Amino acid sequence: MTEVSPVDWLTAAEALQADGFDYFDWLGCVDEIGRRDCLRIVLVVRNLGEDAEPRMLICSLPRDDPRIDTVSGVFAGAAWHEREVAELFGVVFVGGERRRLLLSPDFEGTPLRKDEVLGARTGMNWPGAKEPGESEASPGRRRMVPPGVPEPEIWGDRDSSQPPADPAEVAESAIGGRVRRTRR
Amino acid sequence: MNSPSQSHRWIRLIEPACTSCMICARECPSWCISIDSHTEPVGGLPPGARDRTRNVLDRFAIDWSLCMYCGICVEECPYDALEWAGDLTQPRSSSELLVEEMVEHTSDATSR
Amino acid sequence: MQRFGFDRQEYRVAMRWVDWYGDASLWVLDVALACCTLEVDAAAPVAAVPLPVLDDRAQVAVVVSGTVTDRLAPAVAAIVDGCEQQAGRRPLLISFGACASSGGPYWDSYAVTKGVDQLLAVDAYVPGCPPPPEALSAVLDQLVGRVPS
Repeated sequence: MTEVSPVDWLTAAEALQADGFDYFDWLGCVDEIGRRDCLRIVLVVRNLGEDAEPRMLICSLPRDDPRIDTVSGVFAGAAWHEREVAELFGVVFVGGERRRLLLSPDFEGTPLRKDEVLGARTGMNWPGAKEPGESEASPGRRRMVPPGVPEPEIWGDRDSSQPPADPAEVAESAIGGRVRRTRR
Repeated sequence: MNSPSQSHRWIRLIEPACTSCMICARECPSWCISIDSHTEPVGGLPPGARDRTRNVLDRFAIDWSLCMYCGICVEECPYDALEWAGDLTQPRSSSELLVEEMVEHTSDATSR
Repeated sequence: MQRFGFDRQEYRVAMRWVDWYGDASLWVLDVALACCTLEVDAAAPVAAVPLPVLDDRAQVAVVVSGTVTDRLAPAVAAIVDGCEQQAGRRPLLISFGACASSGGPYWDSYAVTKGVDQLLAVDAYVPGCPPPPEALSAVLDQLVGRVPS
């Protein structure tokens, strides 16, 4: 696993290919919000000829302006993976193809970023929000939120005198979890 | 013989065991379980005992158009009030008809 | 429908139909979107073939099996429309499995249409994830009146 800066990304990929790692395996992205304020691009390539471990190339990009060179000129198969990362995380692959791969043309948002809230879960009434012994939402009582929806005071019902929640707060609060475990 | 493919076709509620704890509804990944309940005081307590209430289940419904038959509800129920069964859920002409009400209301004039 | 070209002859011949009862009385086409299609495949008694010229009394049915993504939703609608054009009659539409019926476990996805009935009128909803193959056989029997429903 080798981490490189964005300016060295393309040459590092070319060097791996020249070194015999010419089989493109996959390219993906990890939203590190909550740990580091970045998106990490991951490239995995293999050397099918020799009995070698696959090589992983990593690059960290700022979340507010993630730009990186396309490697589709080096590994043609990377094109679809880059299109998927571009539409789901909002990463710009300079020189790469801009067409959407999986989402409909009119879709808005970057759904795989951890601070993007799953709208359907916030809109629907969660059957689990009721308490035992209850048939309707009793007003004034704090409602339990389902996994995937941030706590109301962070998102949705936030005190308007406070600044908007930062992405790390939203991402952390939306994790939820299996409801029988105690929260941290 | 009850092979897995023959037995994991339906989920049955064992109503007397249900305490309306809401755990199955909260754990269900598809949000397909709906529960209504209310509290009632417990009678027949010895003199001087503090008041106690119990939960009474009014409604337990599974929306079969959403259910993915994962069985998490069956596993998570602390009172074993849900079990797998072999009856095949029937197709319907509307998705609303796929919501199955599992609580019997024998006091209702229009009970099914 | 024009955009996907399903009105064009070369696409129509690619549509394959199953002669369900072997007597040309019911022809079934599967819109194979995801895992549920494996069960439809297991239920089909014979291989699918291009649609022949139909008897006036013949019925046709389209089974939507699997998740309808927002991206593919227009294509699914266009296929069913193409089926109607090809058969010269409105097909029975069967929503097979949880995903086709409501979005199923993916109802909350940012990319999933919550059931094919958001696009088209459905005649029967078959629950299951997936339903067993016999559930399709049973619902077809019911819809064409081969068993009392």
